Amino acid sequence: MSGFKRLLSACGALLIMTSLAGSVHATESYDPYSYDRWGDAVSSQVGYSAEKFVDGKLINGLYDKISGMSGFDYDDESWKQLLQLKEPADLFISYDDKMYIVDKGNNRIVVTDLEFNLVNYLDQFNYNGETLKLNAPQGVFVDQYTDYVYICDTENSRLIKCDYDGNVDMVFEKPKSEIYSQELTFKPEKVVVDKAGNVYLVVGSITKGAVMYDKTGEFLGFFGANRVEATAEIVMNAFWNTIATEAQRDRMAKSTAVGFDNFDIDDSGFIYTVTESSDVQTDTVKKVNPKGTNILHTIIDDETVFGDHNPAYWSIYTKQSAIVDIDIGPNGEMNLLDFAHGRVFQYDKLANLMFVLGGSGNQLGTFLSAVAIESHDDMIYVLDSRKNGITLFKRTDFGEIVTNATDLYNKGYYDESYEPWQRVIKYDGNYRRAYIGIGNALLGQEKYKEAMKYFKVAISRKRYNRAFEGYRDQLMQKYLTPVVLIIVILVVVIKVLGILEKKGIVTFPWTRRRGA
Amino acid sequence: MLDLTQNQFVKHVVMHPFEGFEDLRWKKSGSMVIATVIVFLLFFQQLAYNRLYGFQYYVSYDKVFNIIPYIFRSFGLFLLYVVCNWAMCTLFDGEGSLKNIYIVTAYSLIPYIAGSLIGTFLSHILIIDEQIFIETVEIIGLAWTVVLFISAMKAVHQFSFGKTLALIALTLVAMLACVFLLVLLLTLFQQVLIFIFTIYTELSYRLRV
Repeated sequence: MSGFKRLLSACGALLIMTSLAGSVHATESYDPYSYDRWGDAVSSQVGYSAEKFVDGKLINGLYDKISGMSGFDYDDESWKQLLQLKEPADLFISYDDKMYIVDKGNNRIVVTDLEFNLVNYLDQFNYNGETLKLNAPQGVFVDQYTDYVYICDTENSRLIKCDYDGNVDMVFEKPKSEIYSQELTFKPEKVVVDKAGNVYLVVGSITKGAVMYDKTGEFLGFFGANRVEATAEIVMNAFWNTIATEAQRDRMAKSTAVGFDNFDIDDSGFIYTVTESSDVQTDTVKKVNPKGTNILHTIIDDETVFGDHNPAYWSIYTKQSAIVDIDIGPNGEMNLLDFAHGRVFQYDKLANLMFVLGGSGNQLGTFLSAVAIESHDDMIYVLDSRKNGITLFKRTDFGEIVTNATDLYNKGYYDESYEPWQRVIKYDGNYRRAYIGIGNALLGQEKYKEAMKYFKVAISRKRYNRAFEGYRDQLMQKYLTPVVLIIVILVVVIKVLGILEKKGIVTFPWTRRRGA
Repeated sequence: MLDLTQNQFVKHVVMHPFEGFEDLRWKKSGSMVIATVIVFLLFFQQLAYNRLYGFQYYVSYDKVFNIIPYIFRSFGLFLLYVVCNWAMCTLFDGEGSLKNIYIVTAYSLIPYIAGSLIGTFLSHILIIDEQIFIETVEIIGLAWTVVLFISAMKAVHQFSFGKTLALIALTLVAMLACVFLLVLLLTLFQQVLIFIFTIYTELSYRLRV
């Protein structure tokens, strides 16, 4: 009897739970938040919602491909492994919408379309009749101008440039140059190629920037090094350096910048680099022009923090963000992937925080070891090397409005962005940029008083000052003439009365004649 | 000569930095009530300067408001100065009584309070480009107060200029010592209270068992 009762209540609970799950399906497995003007975390709306998780089993055609190979044995562990992804290390979506997954543990590149149907499988390469195999590859890039695939064959210390069918065109190896110290290892981890066909490599042992080759494979030098953080110790060293002799200087400790860990290239040829190290604050995110200088400094200062501010109290464990990957979206959004918390931080092209998504954990939308991020249209793909799969995030309605408004605003269409920003506030009253956007639109329409109100809510002192200046001018134009007129009339009346009183024509009850 | 009411004396003292306080002393004038009102104004000025300043100049962190710092910066510091100055002047054979010191110190603060309040008011009608006007007003107020203050100390104790400066410096040292002792005292009292409370808890547990 009691067993039956228990079953009944369990069924009831299940029913309630499923109906609840249906009504709150938009709820994510993490708390969405954002940062306010003071750097305090405030709750926010989700800009992207986790849709599904794709592992090796969900890649259509991978099973057929593997089982069709000669010598396939389902019971053999090493064959079984090939049916899954194993410690995938990088993700790349090419211009023709193919997704390249670097399956590091299985030494192969799996290529699928955006619906996760297998379209290509690269594990063997044909190089002048010789067969090359990969050993723990970590990076991949497809050049949209020449269609060549570049693969970082990390443990084999080489970069393979091949066509879509795996015919190798060129192999890049450790540069034989005096600039590249020969005792250092050469383990290429990430690669990008620019319009001119120059190849940039992140190599683990190099802190001077990316190793750069021209398209003929000749070593050109290093590109876009980080700066050394100006800690007290380094400032002291710089001081001693200026007064030390040559011999003393040789014996002194050299200060070296931390090398960056990952990069991406946008359509205009700017390379964005990210530095993972959690104890360095300078140059964690850079936008480097072809000359090698960081142009992000024109819009932000050194104090700007990317990733979580300190302390990120929405997490139980406060850790410094470790940005491991960056991806540039279609409107120039920067998607930063934080390994420490498994979070994605989306910034607009002017480095204003738009959304924070993800978290650490085992549920959908959270990560154990997030290593790579890519975006395509309104989707964000995050690769997890411990969950061995890709999580898909789709932009929500709220995210759509914000993206639209931000895009209009950044292009200077303040008036047009007014409507979307108003809708953003309806969704999320904490969204500070919306108030700034509306304020700027009102400023353009010379509605200064309302603009002041919005800038005050956004706590934007400088913009408030501009609106206030306009408002004051309006007031002056309106009231200056009457006010001055009234003052002049009053002064004249008082003077005249004074003269009259002196002459004894009028007397006031409150004045007593001298001597009277 | 100089038959001024208490209110007129305030104006006389402020407008005559070099003989005003001598006149005040000679006439045995000066009102505790007016001095206390000035100290309250100082408190209000501290609040206004931090909380009512024009938004385009200064944004205060509105999530937290604690009034204790404002009380300490106005009443606390003023009373501390008066007491310490009196304590020091007895060592230096100064002539000022506690009441006199209280009055002249308060009177000498008037330009500072006024300048700062005018600055706060101006910050609501001027934009950032015109900040120089506000700064000028505030600096003039502060400088005036410094002159008045030294003159007041000199007059109330009948000191030479050098001795006055030495007295002010020593008073500041004494204030630091006082604050240090106060903190020490508070900590010790806290310890004692915790000790008593611990004994109470211990006893109440034992009684219950």
